[in-house]
Amino acid sequence: MLFTLLPVRVCIMGRRKKIVNECERLMDEPENIRNIAIAAHVDHGKTTLTDNLLAGAGMISDETAGQQLAMDTEEDEQERGITIDAANVSMTHEYEDTNHLINLIDTPGHVDFGGDVTRAMRAVDGALVVVDAVEGAMPQTETVLRQALREGVKPALFINKVDRLINELQEGPEEMQKRLLSVISDVNELIRGMTEEEDYDWTVSVEDGTVGFGSALYKWGVSMPSMERTGIDFGDIMELERSGEEGRMELQERTPLSNVVLDMVAEHFPNPVDAQPRRIPTVWRGDADSDLAESMRMVDEDGEVVFMSTDISMDPHAGEIATGRLFSGTIEKGQNLYVSGTAGTNRVQSVGIFMGGEREEVDSVPAGNIAAVTGLKDAIAGSTVSSVEMTPFESIEHISEPVITKSVEAKTMDDLPKLIEVLQQVAKEDPTIQIEINEDTGEHLISGQGELHLEVITHRIRDNQGIDVHTGEPIVVFREQPQEESREVEGVSPNRHNKFYITAEPMDQDIVDAIHLGKASMDMPELERREALQEAGMDKETSQNVEHIFNTNVLIDETKGIQHLNETMELVIEGLEDALEDGPLAAEPVQGALLRLHDAKLHEDTIHRGPAQVIPAVRDAVHRSLIDAKIKMLEPIQDVRIDVPSEYMGDASGEIQGRRGRVDDMYQEGDLMVIEGIAPVEEMIGFSSDIRSATEGRASWNTENAGFRVLVDSLQPEIISEIRERKGMKQELPPSIDYI
Amino acid sequence: MLTFIGLGLYDEGSITREGEAALQAADRVFAEFYTSRLLGADVDDLEAHHGIEIEVRDRAGVEQDPEPILQAAENGDAVFLTAGDTMISTTHADLRVRAADRGIDTRVIHGVTAETAASGLTGLQNYRFGKAVTLPFPGLHGSGDVPPSVIEAIDANRERGLHTLVYLDIKVDSHRELSALDTDDPYMTADHAAGLLANDWEDELAVVVARAGSPEPVVAADRLSALAKQSFGDPLHLLVIPGELHHVEVDALESLAGAPESILPTESDR
Repeated sequence: MLFTLLPVRVCIMGRRKKIVNECERLMDEPENIRNIAIAAHVDHGKTTLTDNLLAGAGMISDETAGQQLAMDTEEDEQERGITIDAANVSMTHEYEDTNHLINLIDTPGHVDFGGDVTRAMRAVDGALVVVDAVEGAMPQTETVLRQALREGVKPALFINKVDRLINELQEGPEEMQKRLLSVISDVNELIRGMTEEEDYDWTVSVEDGTVGFGSALYKWGVSMPSMERTGIDFGDIMELERSGEEGRMELQERTPLSNVVLDMVAEHFPNPVDAQPRRIPTVWRGDADSDLAESMRMVDEDGEVVFMSTDISMDPHAGEIATGRLFSGTIEKGQNLYVSGTAGTNRVQSVGIFMGGEREEVDSVPAGNIAAVTGLKDAIAGSTVSSVEMTPFESIEHISEPVITKSVEAKTMDDLPKLIEVLQQVAKEDPTIQIEINEDTGEHLISGQGELHLEVITHRIRDNQGIDVHTGEPIVVFREQPQEESREVEGVSPNRHNKFYITAEPMDQDIVDAIHLGKASMDMPELERREALQEAGMDKETSQNVEHIFNTNVLIDETKGIQHLNETMELVIEGLEDALEDGPLAAEPVQGALLRLHDAKLHEDTIHRGPAQVIPAVRDAVHRSLIDAKIKMLEPIQDVRIDVPSEYMGDASGEIQGRRGRVDDMYQEGDLMVIEGIAPVEEMIGFSSDIRSATEGRASWNTENAGFRVLVDSLQPEIISEIRERKGMKQELPPSIDYI
Repeated sequence: MLTFIGLGLYDEGSITREGEAALQAADRVFAEFYTSRLLGADVDDLEAHHGIEIEVRDRAGVEQDPEPILQAAENGDAVFLTAGDTMISTTHADLRVRAADRGIDTRVIHGVTAETAASGLTGLQNYRFGKAVTLPFPGLHGSGDVPPSVIEAIDANRERGLHTLVYLDIKVDSHRELSALDTDDPYMTADHAAGLLANDWEDELAVVVARAGSPEPVVAADRLSALAKQSFGDPLHLLVIPGELHHVEVDALESLAGAPESILPTESDR
């Protein structure tokens, strides 16, 4: 009798095949599609929740949901018990007599893999944010919410691990209610803060049914609508949860988690037809009046193919698989598609959808769905793939830049070509990884978001690819930034026939941030870029003369009517980029510099103002202007939060202070003390084991990259000299660097 | 004393008698071959012929580190050699100024240069040449196949009825690989150049001069599109885009450069 109440499809024989068929049928009805992501702070239970949903949809057996972690397909994920890559799955769910196709992406929670989360958000329209009832909203909760809202993805909340409130903390109904409401209000405060400028209200509430509660581990869940339907209230839940195994089984049968959550998804998350008209203008800057824009807004399956790959993975048989969102058209085998940033077209070998960790090939996938495509050999995570050449989607900016670098070297020469191939593959799959291949020394550099990020990558090179590698100690990535306005500096070409006059100055942080977040870039139309820069605080005249943006540095051309400068500008830019890639202090990247070209004197003939002349002249002028602007080293810093029993508070805060860090706040939360502060990334290497031993394993902590800050003066010479030595540069600095 | 000596166009015999005398009297001899080179002689030939030792400097060794040359000139008689003439198109004027600024005496012994050969071999009168340009390899000097400044210069000359001498790029001392330039020849050939210019002036008349100064120079006049399909043998090549033609120039192109009659102006046009 109970089972007839369950709207979830339960298929018994050949259910997998059956689900695939059903998914294929539903793909054509965009109104009934929901593309969603599940995102949360690390360990708040996303993956366990996802397994519940899969089991509910009949895709894995009920018994194993909760332990199987079906979405964690890589061995190292199951070993570590965390999700590393975003994983995809499609399932069906019947709600109010209509069957829905739910395309779901499970995303990693660990901060080092934030790039995967950002990319996943591009593909979906709704984000189910999972929060641990005991821990409440944590730093990563805020981050994933921001990632979702920036992409125009609508949030809903699931408060997990409610069983722990009942059994571990032995809370009464009032205490429990208070705690749950405070989680909701914390999350709403975050949402409100992030959507201030929007005209919609996306805060969540119990009454609306956009908040669910439950236990992914014990597979039960409730929401306001579910309580109305099943008649089960919190009182019943507490009673059943406390009455042991049998009670839990009953809860699980009477109010299964998957129903509650999937109903919420069907009811509250927008379908592609509702979502795309709002999302396209946020993620695409092309001509809004074009047919292409119209067909993307309308989710037109007969329109041109427009697909954005959000993930690239490797299949030993099928090769590279590009997974992403199809915004328009119908994608099918044999199509020749353009890939943004590359010449020519790629031929689609196959299209499919994901069922658990496996891909099921289908004939075609129409607009509004998440598709898995093979044959797109030029695509990287973030590519725009289309049947006509078009303005690419906004680049998916991940907030953090790489802060840690490790060298990787093949132990045997024979592995060298394979290692290079694997490294290039790694960079394709995860654009937050930067790879520097050095064929001369064979010592390649991988840069990423943190120690764990790099550890996982090298682990995969070693174990999955079977390449025996040496890895170096992790090295922190520094930056260089001018501190004041320079005088005008003259750069002379080697043949002395060409001269460039340049100044450097630090740029306002607001402008740097705007560029960093992709709000102003050279890819956008000039007028729009100008407006974005002015909005960030750049004065009007300067914004009109922007000639180039490189990383977070800007070149302003203030010259007027200089003959031949136009055709020389490309070389000027090349010299500028050279100079900014390797700053004058320690050849670390320069950031946040505003460079102005005031004047130039050029030779009449192209040959005497060629690359061999212009590039060194500009590089030299840029470096000397930066030195005159008192350029200094910046180091990456992290926000640190430690939750620890009060008796260990002193030891824990000592771990921050002892690392050139600063404790900003300490407060009680439940029975734990929370310590918040910042510390340099360099000093945080090895933090995990130190904090464990300092607190006898009683602390839990979270770190998040928080940009760069000027390194204290007393450490500047030492760090510069260390880096120069490591890079084989000569120790003496140019005599003009007398301020350090 | 720093003496700039032009070696002339072809081989060890192309230098002037005056140049030869100065060369043999010198204490130190420097040379550069990145702006041009002799077709019929290498450094060994020059050394053997003149009984001297030559120190060849690369671009950095002339432009960024001229100190050894200047010191040698301060302490004795130094000469600096280039193919052609040291002060035409190779523009070593800067080195001369640096020397003069240090109180070093300088003098220039001229060599025969491509500029005179272009006029001499084609029969186009030197009074009627406008501004000269160098055509660089595509992608090296700004956007497009042909830099706008090159097109503008040719256009401006043509508007005024003047001929344009087009020097062709040499990449023997570049920071970029040749393969990136879509060529395996570091000396741009006249057919390659004609192909680039034919985009703008397909049917226009042009004159190729190959191996000027050698015993067997080639001079060929035709439409740019036709020249682009031919091959003119070993370097060095240059190209002339004629402006309005004087009747003697027409005759010269016809009988000395084999210009097809159909593309030359007829008697009544002149």
